[in-house]
Amino acid sequence: MRNVLERVLNLLAYLLTVNRAVSAEEIRHTVAGYDRDNDQAFQRMFSRDKDLLRRLGIPLETTTSGALEIEYGYKIDPDAYRLPETDLSDQERAALWFAAQVVRIGGQPTGADAILKLGGSQLETGLEPFAANLGSEVDVLAELYTACAEHRMVTFRYGGSERLVAPHGLGHRRGHWYLVGSTERGIRVYRVDRLSALEQGDPDGFTRDPDIDVRRELDTQPWEAGSEEPVTASIRFSPDIAWWAERRLGREPLTRTELPDGSLEVSIEITNRAAFIGWVLGFTDQAEVVGPPELRRAVVHHITGAA
Amino acid sequence: MSDRTASRLTRILTMLPWVIEHPGATVDEVCERFGYSRKELIRDLDLVFVCGLPGYGPGDLMVAYVEEDQVVVDTADYFARAPRLTAAEGLALLASGMTVMATGQGSDVLASAVDKLAAALVPDGYEILTVDLSAEHDLADRLRTAAAEGRVVEVVYTTLSRGDTAKRRIEPWTVFTSLGNWYVSAYCRESQGERIFRLDRIQRVDETDERFEPPASPPEPEVRYTPSEEDVTAVIRLQPTAFWVSDYYPVEIVSEEPDSRTVRFSAYDASVAAQLLVRLGAAASLLEGDQVRVAVDDLRSRMLERYSS
Repeated sequence: MRNVLERVLNLLAYLLTVNRAVSAEEIRHTVAGYDRDNDQAFQRMFSRDKDLLRRLGIPLETTTSGALEIEYGYKIDPDAYRLPETDLSDQERAALWFAAQVVRIGGQPTGADAILKLGGSQLETGLEPFAANLGSEVDVLAELYTACAEHRMVTFRYGGSERLVAPHGLGHRRGHWYLVGSTERGIRVYRVDRLSALEQGDPDGFTRDPDIDVRRELDTQPWEAGSEEPVTASIRFSPDIAWWAERRLGREPLTRTELPDGSLEVSIEITNRAAFIGWVLGFTDQAEVVGPPELRRAVVHHITGAA
Repeated sequence: MSDRTASRLTRILTMLPWVIEHPGATVDEVCERFGYSRKELIRDLDLVFVCGLPGYGPGDLMVAYVEEDQVVVDTADYFARAPRLTAAEGLALLASGMTVMATGQGSDVLASAVDKLAAALVPDGYEILTVDLSAEHDLADRLRTAAAEGRVVEVVYTTLSRGDTAKRRIEPWTVFTSLGNWYVSAYCRESQGERIFRLDRIQRVDETDERFEPPASPPEPEVRYTPSEEDVTAVIRLQPTAFWVSDYYPVEIVSEEPDSRTVRFSAYDASVAAQLLVRLGAAASLLEGDQVRVAVDDLRSRMLERYSS
C-alpha cells in the first residue's frame, strides 16, 4: 500500500502542477514509482491509480486524439480539484457530522470522508441514535443532483417510456424522493426509485426556468397529483379514526362537518381519481366516499374487483 | 483496490491542507480532527516526506515532520486545498443536514451550516433540494423527552389492520422516521416485548410518574418487516399497474411473465395482505393463501356493507 500511495501522491502532485495534458508515456517516464521496463505492469499500475483518483472524486480528465478516440492525454484542472471555499466553523462542521451519522440515505450512514474534506471534526464514532432513513440509492440521487446543479439535460425510462427532462430539483416527501423537471409538455414530477437507464448530457444544456419552485411542485397530496377534470369528493370517517384522517389530509378541507355520532365529513377537490381511491381504501371500512355518486360507484366497483 | 488505500489517501489529502492553513498545529489537534492515532499520523507524514515533484531532489519533495509536538508541512502548495466533495458526498451531507432540520431538532448552527454547504455546492443559489418529513413535532418531542428521562408513558394507539384502539403503557426508547413515517420503538408492557409504534396512529400521550431503566444500547430499530414462521403467506399475481408492490414490500418473486408478476407475500397478520389486495382491486389476484382469502372476503363484505345503504 505504501508504494501505491507514494506513487499516487507523486502522480497527483505532477498533474496538479504540469498545467497541460500529458500522455501516459510521459507520466511513465516522469513520475517516480512507475515501471519503465514492463508495459503490462505499467498499464496495470496506471489504470489502478486512475481508478483510485476518480473514486475520491478527483476530476481526472482524459483528452482523446483522432477519430478512434484513443485515450491520449491526462490532466487535472487545479480549480476543479479544489474544494470551494465554504467558510464553515468548527461548530458547523460538527453539526453536519452529527446529522450525517443519524440519517441514512440508501442504507449506510455516510459523511466521514466529506467531513474530512471540509476540514475535519471531532470524529467520534460512538453510536449516535438513528433518527431518519430516507431510503433510495444515493448514487442515482447524486447523479440527478449534479444534473440539477450543472443544468444538464437527463434522459431516463419511466412508466415504460423514454423521457427527456430539464431537471430543476429533488425533494423528499412522504418517504420517497422525487425529481421535478420541465419537459416539452410542462412541469413534471417523477419518483426517483421508479426511473431507470438514467443518462445525463453536458453542463449548461438548458436554461433554468426561474418560476419553477421545487417545494411548491412537491407539496401535493396523491389525489391532487393529476390533471383530470377536478371533482369535489365528500368522505365520511368513523369516529374512531376521524382524528387520524384529519391529520392525514395534511390541509384544510373545503368543508368540514362533525356529525352527531362523532363521524367526520369533509370535502376535498381531487384531480387524480385512482390515487384518491387508493388513499381512501387504506382506511378500510372506517371511511366512506359519500359523493359524488359516480365516484362512490367507482369505489364500490374497485372493492368488488378485489382478489 | 482496497477501501483502506482510498481512505488513507483521503485522509492525507485533507490533513495536509488543514496543517498548511494552521501553522503550529499540535499532533493532538491533528489527530483529534482527522481521526488519527499518533503513530498513524507520523507514518503518513513520513510517506508524504518522500513524495513531491519530478526531479525528486531535496527542493522537489514535500516537507512533513513533527517537531516539538507540532506538525510541520512545507513545499506542498499544490495540496493547499482539500479535494472537492464528490456529488454523492455533497448530496448525502446536505440531505442529512436538511433532514435533521426537518425533524425540528436542528440548531441555528446546523441551519447556517446547511446554508453554507448548499451555497458552496450550488453556486447560482437555486433551491434544488428539499426535505419534508411532515413531522408530528409535538408528539415526537414529548416521546423523545420521555425516552431521555426514562419515563413510562401511556399511549392511546389505533391498530388499523384490526380496527381497534387501545391504551398501552410503553417504555419509549427511540423516536425516528423511516420512509415517510414517524415511529417510536419501545418496550410494550401489554405485549411484553419490543414494539414499534407509528406516531400518526398515536391519538394521545400521557406521561406517567413511573420510571424505567433505559437499555444501555437499544437495538437499532428496523421497520422493515422480518418474516417469521408464524406468518401467513399469500401468492398473488400482479398486473403491471401493481408491479410497484414488489418494489415496495419485501416480497419473494415467484415468476415473471411479460404482462404479470407472481409474488409470495408474507405478513404477521392476514388483514395486512387483505388490505393490500382490496386496495389493488382488479390489478391483483390471489392464487394461494386460505387465511388471506378469508380475510379479503371479510374485509370486502365489511366495506361493501358500509356502501350498501
